[in-house]
Amino acid sequence: MSYVRLEKLRKSFGSLDILHGIDLEIARSEFLVLLGPSGCGKSTSLRMLAGLETVSSGRIFIDGRDVTGLEPRERDIAMVFQNYALYPTMTVGQNIGFGLKAKKMPADQIKKKVDEAAKLLNLSHLLDRKPGALSGGQQQRVAIGRAIVRQPKVFLFDEPLSNLDAKLRVEMRAEILRLHNELQATTIYVTHDQEEAMTMADRIVVMKDGLIEQVGTPEDIYFRPATRMVAGFIGSPAMNFIAGTGAGPCRIDSALGALKVDAAVREGQAVEIGIRPDNVTLAQSGYDGDNPVVPMTVKLVELLGPRAIVSLEHASGQAITAVVPYADISSFRTGSQVDIMLAVEAMHVFPVS
Amino acid sequence: MFSFRNPISRAFATLALLLAVFAVLFPFVWVFMESIKPASLGGRPDLWVFSPTWENWNEVTLNSDVPFNILNSFAIALVTVLISLLCGAPAAYAFSRFRGFESARYSILAAEMMPPAILILPFFLVLYHLKLIDSQIGVIAAHLTFVLPVVTWFLIGFFDEVPRDLENQAMIDGYTRFQAFYKVILPAVRPGLGAAGVFGFVLSWNDLFYALLLTGNESRTLPVAIAGYWTFRGVELGKMAVAILIAVIPVLALSHSIQKHLIRGIGGGAVKY
Repeated sequence: MSYVRLEKLRKSFGSLDILHGIDLEIARSEFLVLLGPSGCGKSTSLRMLAGLETVSSGRIFIDGRDVTGLEPRERDIAMVFQNYALYPTMTVGQNIGFGLKAKKMPADQIKKKVDEAAKLLNLSHLLDRKPGALSGGQQQRVAIGRAIVRQPKVFLFDEPLSNLDAKLRVEMRAEILRLHNELQATTIYVTHDQEEAMTMADRIVVMKDGLIEQVGTPEDIYFRPATRMVAGFIGSPAMNFIAGTGAGPCRIDSALGALKVDAAVREGQAVEIGIRPDNVTLAQSGYDGDNPVVPMTVKLVELLGPRAIVSLEHASGQAITAVVPYADISSFRTGSQVDIMLAVEAMHVFPVS
Repeated sequence: MFSFRNPISRAFATLALLLAVFAVLFPFVWVFMESIKPASLGGRPDLWVFSPTWENWNEVTLNSDVPFNILNSFAIALVTVLISLLCGAPAAYAFSRFRGFESARYSILAAEMMPPAILILPFFLVLYHLKLIDSQIGVIAAHLTFVLPVVTWFLIGFFDEVPRDLENQAMIDGYTRFQAFYKVILPAVRPGLGAAGVFGFVLSWNDLFYALLLTGNESRTLPVAIAGYWTFRGVELGKMAVAILIAVIPVLALSHSIQKHLIRGIGGGAVKY
């Protein structure tokens, strides 16, 4: 039973179409992440759900109620904005309690709830400060406190961590997950950061150009990308793509020679083979009869600690990136020749449209 | 502010600054000297040696209508500013926020550029028929024609700087757009409201044109009173100097208090930060 439902949701600004009809169902207590490059419509979808953007067509349901035409205040949602949107003239305590005041809750009860939320977020000692006197991470926690104190039906997060530095981002990520597990609140979280999406989501929705490319668990998205876009967008370093033509069932002619694949291909069909850098190994480190071995030239070795990113180039000009144990590559220099092996079972075949 | 290493450049810079300060302050010193010159020497601004006296000050503050004129000026400026803020703040918010208003914001300046001479005749006729000539209401109405646009223009820039997510947040938190406006957005632009109010007050306080043509004995403002010292017997320079100082001092004090916000406001919505 879905808790939040988007039905054929469309948005256009004048003649410009932003969303081309989104259908999405979100279960109660689910942590759903909308992921995509900037301009894909993920933030617009979230703002429509919040009631901050009008809906061009389609409908939105929250807990079985059609909220499409309702004002933001009537939807029983809470939202955390990228810039935190803390009320600059109010103290931290007033910021957190502001939503409860709108509900005409008695002052002593507001104070109790604010204190609870502050304790949960480790903000108790800051309640009398103004937002301007807080660090980025503290401001973020106040924004989250303001959201949870109202116990809304749905939490919306619009790129809440993108203004924080890398270390704090990882901390806040864990904090948000902890709160989610504790409160079991239905959460919709927008980000362009795939790492955030992969680590936090129950399910990820990958969007591009106002359309949903794929909906699935992080495992689905990473290991079974449905489209070329999802495959290329998720994973770092990005997936390698090799252009080719079908040459009979399970055979593809490509720049790297004839490759056997685990997918049905029509003869003459233009396709792209995708393979993640992790699935490209150096042939010396153990030969496997089934997998094709291809000679390459080393272009660049970037050390990441125990592992290294190796940029390779084939005689045909096809570039391949591999992530290999540093010990395997340490003896090779830029310009050395090396044989690589492509794992057939890890290849993805995408038709070229 | 200046950090010249070379002592000669430093000396030149100091000299230039002193000259500038002198050029700015000299008129005030001169007007003050006039105000304490004996009336018998009045009309002789070239005299520098005399025995100072407070007779002009006593005359103007105790035995003339000037205190009453100050009260008029003050009341008119205050009411003009209050109305301007009351109408100008929501207007500026709309200009700042809503699609379609963005290019229209410059039309406010058009109202500002209209010569007052165009308005004065219709104003005079309307006020005459409403029997409001020589009334404070008439002058307030006239002053609103230039104070309200200035205050609105002034505030647009301040509203532009408040992130839209602030009112979005308030609307999600359970408030209507209007509640979000006055509970969250207005407090956030409080410095702007203060500065716009002071600026509008000074504009109204300084106006001579409308006040001269629309007021009589009952509603005469201070600038009109100052002009009134130019009589058929000549200019009563000493008393005029007193009235000028009384008129200028609050303006200086108020302008000083808002100088930080002044540039930001005058830039209005035209300057993006």
